[in-house]
Amino acid sequence: MNKKTFGSRLVSAPYLVWAAIFVIVPLVIMIYFALTNDAGNFTLSNISGIGKYKKAFLYSIVYAIISTVITLILAYPMAYFMTKIKISAQRMILLIVMVPMWMNFLIRTYSWITILANKGIINSFLEKLGLPTVHLINTPGAVILGMVYDFIPYMILPIYSVMSKIDNSLLEAASDLGSNGFSKLKSVILPLSLPGVVSGITMVFVPSVSTFYISQKLGGNKTLLIGDAIEYLFNAGPEYYNVASSLSLVLMILILLCLAVMNKFSNDEGDIIV
Amino acid sequence: MANNNIVELKDVFVSFDGEMVLDGLNLQIEDKEFITLLGPSGCGKTTTLRLIAGFLDPDSGTILFEGNDLNGVPAYKRQVNTIFQRYALFPHLNVFENIAFGMRIKKLPENEIKEKVTDLLKLVNLSGFEKRRISTLSGGQQQRIAIARAIANRPKVLLLDEPLAALDLKLRKDMQKELRNMQKQLGITFVFVTHDQEEALTMSDRVVVMDEGKIQQVGTPKDIYNEPKNAFVADFIGESNILDGVMLKDYLVEFSGNKFNCLDKGFNDREAVDVVVRPEDVDIVSLDNGMLKGTVISVDFLGVHYEIIVDIGGFKWMIQTTDEHFVGDNVGLIIEPDAIHIMKKSKYSGLYGDYSSYSEEMDHISENIEEE
Repeated sequence: MNKKTFGSRLVSAPYLVWAAIFVIVPLVIMIYFALTNDAGNFTLSNISGIGKYKKAFLYSIVYAIISTVITLILAYPMAYFMTKIKISAQRMILLIVMVPMWMNFLIRTYSWITILANKGIINSFLEKLGLPTVHLINTPGAVILGMVYDFIPYMILPIYSVMSKIDNSLLEAASDLGSNGFSKLKSVILPLSLPGVVSGITMVFVPSVSTFYISQKLGGNKTLLIGDAIEYLFNAGPEYYNVASSLSLVLMILILLCLAVMNKFSNDEGDIIV
Repeated sequence: MANNNIVELKDVFVSFDGEMVLDGLNLQIEDKEFITLLGPSGCGKTTTLRLIAGFLDPDSGTILFEGNDLNGVPAYKRQVNTIFQRYALFPHLNVFENIAFGMRIKKLPENEIKEKVTDLLKLVNLSGFEKRRISTLSGGQQQRIAIARAIANRPKVLLLDEPLAALDLKLRKDMQKELRNMQKQLGITFVFVTHDQEEALTMSDRVVVMDEGKIQQVGTPKDIYNEPKNAFVADFIGESNILDGVMLKDYLVEFSGNKFNCLDKGFNDREAVDVVVRPEDVDIVSLDNGMLKGTVISVDFLGVHYEIIVDIGGFKWMIQTTDEHFVGDNVGLIIEPDAIHIMKKSKYSGLYGDYSSYSEEMDHISENIEEE
């Protein structure tokens, strides 16, 4: 071993130790629990028994897809707009986008309860205006709203950061060659910002599909998402650890599959464009 | 059209953040000419190009294209195309699609696009490169693709923003010739921006020398070199010894304590003037036969010739000669009447043309080039 590689290994050692303790070991423990029964013997019954949670998986994926799409639709024009304004204004908006991320996730979710509740802010306001009240809390819409609200910074930031790095001379070249507004967006800005879109989708879809709590507080426990199911089972006691672990394992594999499909899609997209 | 001007800039003013970039620019660009905007960084040459391209609007003044006001006409509607300094090729498209970009917007039929791309690639000597990714091309190849893409739309004017600045010397020389040939072959107007005076002289029909947002001189390369209008032009184009002189009468000038016959006239009697003598126009002779007498203080061998600095009464002359001389030699100089060029005094007088701080000046020039 030469000195250089020894040195570089030394530098990465703290992270490797950290990763081993907090990533590898928990993963191994999870896989162990998923593939054993409460007596510690190997079994596949946990995995084969997850059919009961089929609906929860399905809801989680559908909710995640819907909220990711809505987030993308909202975030993309926002990111584009941000690159078009003065630098000082860009910084201001970035700050506004990021401020909610500094507050606790539970507090943010609770605040939506007070906004959406039947006697909440919106309905009190409607009452004052003499309008009929609307039922908002404990609906799928409220869950989606909570997810979009929570995860939208993770969509805006990567798209904005890729978009703001697009060389202005490329946009000038597009104009120069006869392309205006929409065709410039379609043939230059969109393909060049695609890496930001892909990482934004990843960063929103993954936490969306495994989210819990939002559905409990804003969805009124009507629809059980897989994240909630896992939480319930772990809270229910050590005898449920094996089932909960197997659900986590399957969820993880599903997420990896989704990401692989999406990466394939974005690569294909790249090839089609080329 | 009464005149042959394809582009005309009239009293154009541009300022950025209160700083004047173009200060009342007037310029006529003739159809099918190769015109070069030449000047140091910050002189306004690129700004002028961007005005014609439509990336920038003037604060005041008009820009005419074939006699029509371009004011408010967006870049994508103008019949000009640009070759950008760093090429600005689309990294997500291959060579074919880069060149086809403009034609796709015009919605030309696929077979026509294909035919044209093939022709253009042939024109720039890159046949067979259709499927290549931009990132796999060398600087010179990217340059050629940028040219092909820009002329694919058959522009009437091609704007070139220091397109050769990033290429190495050998390639740059080749591309200069190729661009010149291409311009003749295509029969379209080229507006070329550069800070390299040699490039400007070799390539252009006409050169526009700019400084501080103003045009200093417009003319053929020969005019600019032989008849510079002021000390800035004389110094920026080639090497010049620029001396304070007094015009005694027509055809007679006094400088460095001597009277010289010259070919210039039309000045007031005893008018103070700037005298330009090019280093290659001075003959070194023996001390006794010289009109001026001095001491050699430095000799550099440059291959084709020697560059010699001679001190004459405190003023350092640069002389280029193929004869070898040595530091410390006392020599005489002879200056023929046709080697002397007289200029009116300007705000640039006294700033340039003395080689006593030669090395510092060279440092300054090379810094400028790096900034570009």
